[in-house]
Amino acid sequence: MSYIEIRDLDFSYNGKKKVLESINLQVEKGEWIACLGHNGSGKSTLAKALVGLLEPELGEIEIDGLLLTEETAYEIRKKIGIVFQNPDNQFVGVTVRDDIAFGMENLCVPREEMIEKIDFYAKKVNMLDFLDKEPTNLSGGQKQQVAIAGILAMQSEIIIFDEATSMLDPFSREELIKYIRTLHKEGLTIIMITHDINEALLADKILVLNKGKIEAFEETEKIMKKREVFVESRLELPIALDLANALESNGNATKIRKKLWEYALTK
Amino acid sequence: MGIRFNQVSYEYPSFAEGLYSAIRNINLEITEKNEFIALVGHTGSGKSTLAKHMNALIFPTSGSLEIYGNIITAKRNRKVKYNSIRKKVGLVFQFPEYQLFEETVEKDIMFGPMNFKITQEEAKKKAKEALNLVGLDDSYLSRNPYNLSGGEKKRVSIAGILAMDPDILILDEPTSGLDPAGRRVLMNLFQDINKKTGKTIVIITHDMDLVYQYFNRVLVLNDGNLIFDGEPEKLFRSEDLIKYHLDYPNTIKVLSHLNKELHLNLNIYQKTLEEALEEIKRGGLL
Repeated sequence: MSYIEIRDLDFSYNGKKKVLESINLQVEKGEWIACLGHNGSGKSTLAKALVGLLEPELGEIEIDGLLLTEETAYEIRKKIGIVFQNPDNQFVGVTVRDDIAFGMENLCVPREEMIEKIDFYAKKVNMLDFLDKEPTNLSGGQKQQVAIAGILAMQSEIIIFDEATSMLDPFSREELIKYIRTLHKEGLTIIMITHDINEALLADKILVLNKGKIEAFEETEKIMKKREVFVESRLELPIALDLANALESNGNATKIRKKLWEYALTK
Repeated sequence: MGIRFNQVSYEYPSFAEGLYSAIRNINLEITEKNEFIALVGHTGSGKSTLAKHMNALIFPTSGSLEIYGNIITAKRNRKVKYNSIRKKVGLVFQFPEYQLFEETVEKDIMFGPMNFKITQEEAKKKAKEALNLVGLDDSYLSRNPYNLSGGEKKRVSIAGILAMDPDILILDEPTSGLDPAGRRVLMNLFQDINKKTGKTIVIITHDMDLVYQYFNRVLVLNDGNLIFDGEPEKLFRSEDLIKYHLDYPNTIKVLSHLNKELHLNLNIYQKTLEEALEEIKRGGLL
């Protein structure tokens, strides 16, 4: 039994067109999964189904041995946190401190413990100096860090990043990615939805969704060799791999191809 | 004519830092015809503040702007026709698709032009033209904007601004949230509009690959200062990019990696995949 199990999942918003179809997926504890797919391929719908925000038409979701139902949704949500694309849409607190506390308040964490945890996790995401600031005065990247602190404080073990870097500038993006790496090293299970192929390359495995179905789900290095998966799903490969694929395999070209592969897959 | 910035600064009070300087002493000229300009800079560098000045949504706290002959300073001037400025210079905010509100695509696109005292018939005609300009056919006119895909919504919201027939079009990160294919379709569309109609287009973006491939002029803001105004390639030949929290285009990064690792002497300044491939074949002794 895997840590996250999705079995024969179907979903549609209006009962007609299927947004997700026959999804079968197993994720092990501590894995970092990147999820790629064109606009409307079902990535965000899958994320919402995982936390029980959307109810599947057919099929089951099981997380850490717990079958997702109306009764268990509350338990399961404690295990999973989501960081959304637009950092401005997920702030509920007046200050950074309030915001980190929000999740814990809902879980009725005792006050003493809460105060301790706020400091601990704010420090962890480098936001200790900002606890009394208003979220509006933070940069996009900082807002995402605060969202992560709130999730960690709830002792979640799985974090879903739903295009969490897409509105950030390259610098803040890199900071956030660095942080995701740390979380991965610490054993958290990470599901990262993204349009950025270079970001996806950092993950252990890549899940490619195409029109609501799984096109491929494999180790990153293996899937990168399958150009057809990307073409079929209207996705782009990193430019280094496109170049490598376009070169013949002889003499100097082989050397160059090797370097291009190394470049693309360096984490 | 067009837009001219004259020592423009904009400050606003902030709880955290007292007075916050969003842009400082900006001197800049944007002509009304045929320009295709990228505006880049890290988060908080002042890009959106600069853009909002361009159609007088906000006024400089010091310095002055000239927009189509109107002088804009800190003080509101009764002689200035702000309405006509906003007709000449159209501004599309980030995620414009969240601002769609009418029940049909046609009504939504008509909303803008109707504010400029034209008849219903004329507005309908403009709506249709604008819709076609963004690559959607007439069948979309009667559709509900909420049932469109993300990419389609973006196009409809851009059509809403185009229907007002501005000379200059400014778009704040129009491609964010789109997949790579959708991004290219939209960029090709802007390039097309620029070539067909001669409208000047200014696009705020973080994507340096797009900057390199599509634009011939790039403005770089850093902490509110305009630190570069010129050709993208000249910018990418500078070593300062990292200092400004900006990235190099992927072609340049990959080719310089090959140069370093294999002691090659490739010309790294290639804009597209095809050009990069040719250069590898030429300089890689294949």
